[in-house]
Amino acid sequence: METPAIPVPEARSVVPASLRGLLPVLLALPVLALFQWLMSDAPFASYLLSVVGVNIILAVSLNIVNGMTGQFSIGHAGFMAVGAYISGVLSLNLKDIALSFLPVAVSDQVFFVLSLLVGGLAAALCGFLVGLPSLRLRGDYLAIVTLGFGEIIRVVVQNTDAFGRALGLSGIPQTSSPAMVYFFVFLTVLVARRITGSSHGRSLWAIREDEVAAEAMGVDTTGYKVRAFVISSFFAGIAGALFAHFVPIINPGSFTFVKSMEIVVMVVLGGLGSTTGAIVAATFLTLLPEGLRSLFTVLGAEGSLAQKVDQIRMPVYGLLLVVLMLARPQGLFGTKEIWDVLPRWIPRKRRGLA
Amino acid sequence: MSAAVQETKAAAGAPLLQADGVSIQFGGLKALTDFNLSVRQGDLQGLIGPNGAGKSTAFNVLTGVYPPTQGEVRVTGQRVNGWLPHQINHLGLARTFQNIRLFRALTALDNVKVACRAQGALHPEGVGLGAKMKGAFLNYRDWWRALLLTPRFQQEERELTQQAERLLEVMGLSHRRDEEARNLPYGEQRRLEIARALGTQPKVLLLDEPAAGMNTREKADLMVLIRKLRDDFQLGVLVIEHDMKLVMGICESITVLDHGETIARGAPAQVRSDRKVIEAYLGDSYLESHGGAA
Repeated sequence: METPAIPVPEARSVVPASLRGLLPVLLALPVLALFQWLMSDAPFASYLLSVVGVNIILAVSLNIVNGMTGQFSIGHAGFMAVGAYISGVLSLNLKDIALSFLPVAVSDQVFFVLSLLVGGLAAALCGFLVGLPSLRLRGDYLAIVTLGFGEIIRVVVQNTDAFGRALGLSGIPQTSSPAMVYFFVFLTVLVARRITGSSHGRSLWAIREDEVAAEAMGVDTTGYKVRAFVISSFFAGIAGALFAHFVPIINPGSFTFVKSMEIVVMVVLGGLGSTTGAIVAATFLTLLPEGLRSLFTVLGAEGSLAQKVDQIRMPVYGLLLVVLMLARPQGLFGTKEIWDVLPRWIPRKRRGLA
Repeated sequence: MSAAVQETKAAAGAPLLQADGVSIQFGGLKALTDFNLSVRQGDLQGLIGPNGAGKSTAFNVLTGVYPPTQGEVRVTGQRVNGWLPHQINHLGLARTFQNIRLFRALTALDNVKVACRAQGALHPEGVGLGAKMKGAFLNYRDWWRALLLTPRFQQEERELTQQAERLLEVMGLSHRRDEEARNLPYGEQRRLEIARALGTQPKVLLLDEPAAGMNTREKADLMVLIRKLRDDFQLGVLVIEHDMKLVMGICESITVLDHGETIARGAPAQVRSDRKVIEAYLGDSYLESHGGAA
């Protein structure tokens, strides 16, 4: 791990200390507005970018548990499902209500954000309930429990009328937008980064490095692991909730073990412990099938191959992982972050010149 | 227990760390039998014994890695049987490890900061649902402060850095501040472990073979350093050590273990001439051929 990402502010820092927490969000909002304006005429690009965004949220949040804390959770799709279904059902029920003192579009967004948060909190609660017993133990128990949890959620959904059983839920208001998705992407990345730069992050890294030593040095290992897991589940829930509001239908098939493994592959490919890696790998792996599809279509020769992209996707992932393990076992980025490299590179160069 | 009560007790010379008839059994194996120990502020005690005598097991029982099968362990007067290691650490007991266990991928500074923070982040852990909920609430509030980068959080972070830098300086590691722990030379890793243990603001420091793998000069330096730490930080120190010269040189009282049993205790000179100790270290045949204890 690099030195903490948070620079020690000088007394003559331009930004007042009280503003530093919110500043990135304030800077991001106009960029997102511009982004939304650019995307307004491109429905397919909007959809694709939203999927990329959801996958980034999933990968970055899973990285908090699997990367930073060194635990192994393989049921992330389960938490995503909880967020998707809880917020989906909520939105379906709130569909016909509007706040009279606001324009309809704004009122819709208010309810959307509300149901997002409820979905996230529901997933966080599940994370707490799953994490508390299994994170007390060391080793592979978390993997087994999360695997089971993912399947339980899927089976429960498949057999509950309120969640539309195997048919899924349709008619959820499509209130999501790329700007909203990327706002939460931004928030997730910001949270992940600030965790790394804080004492909480250091404790998580310490647990990853040596749990026995961390415990002996006064780190409440179980507590830290559970809290990391809860935060991770919360964002998985948010990702699921966002997903539910831009796809026409959600069904249990979207939240299977395969989806969980996809997220794990993203994190491992990017480098366990690197948020940058998670972002890059999530983007790459989401766009890969689309890229292949277009490629095959352009080549024209194998029309049927283009349709088979989804089927050959998993073998391709497997192959990628094998190649990665042979060539670069620590993942593309290891534990490096782009923001650790960039700002330092400039002063160093200056010093060299002077 | 309030800090004030602890202060008075320490001042009165009450033992900070006490083991009363502690035994531990793994299945049929008695790793430690009726072990007694009492460490006060300003003590510098040694724990020695041949390989497999139960020295590290004793450390593990004292620090909460294993709960004792029998007997009781008290830290600052508080009974800690069955407590988790981090809870015992919060009472003021810190340790180093025989086989160095640093956070290898973290920088030297971060290694110490982890320990400093763990102590700073203490929220009262009580029994009962109310106290637990309160603790949980305070913990999550700390996370929020970090996520929102509140001025208070930034201030805390600066203080932690200063505190950790000071400890690195004490241990002569300032020049390694930003180096990853795994890249430090062996002797410096040992010193970093001590710095990290000091970060938890201990009252009693347990050192598990601190001189292992060091050369003669480093050992001599270490002896001076351990004494200095005891005086500067007002600690009680308990050292496990194989190197007789080191133990005899600095410890005022030595406990000798063999097969989990305490076979001798006392001042270095007294222990050195103890028949049982020589027997344990050199075997009966040595005694027979040399006609008894020196």
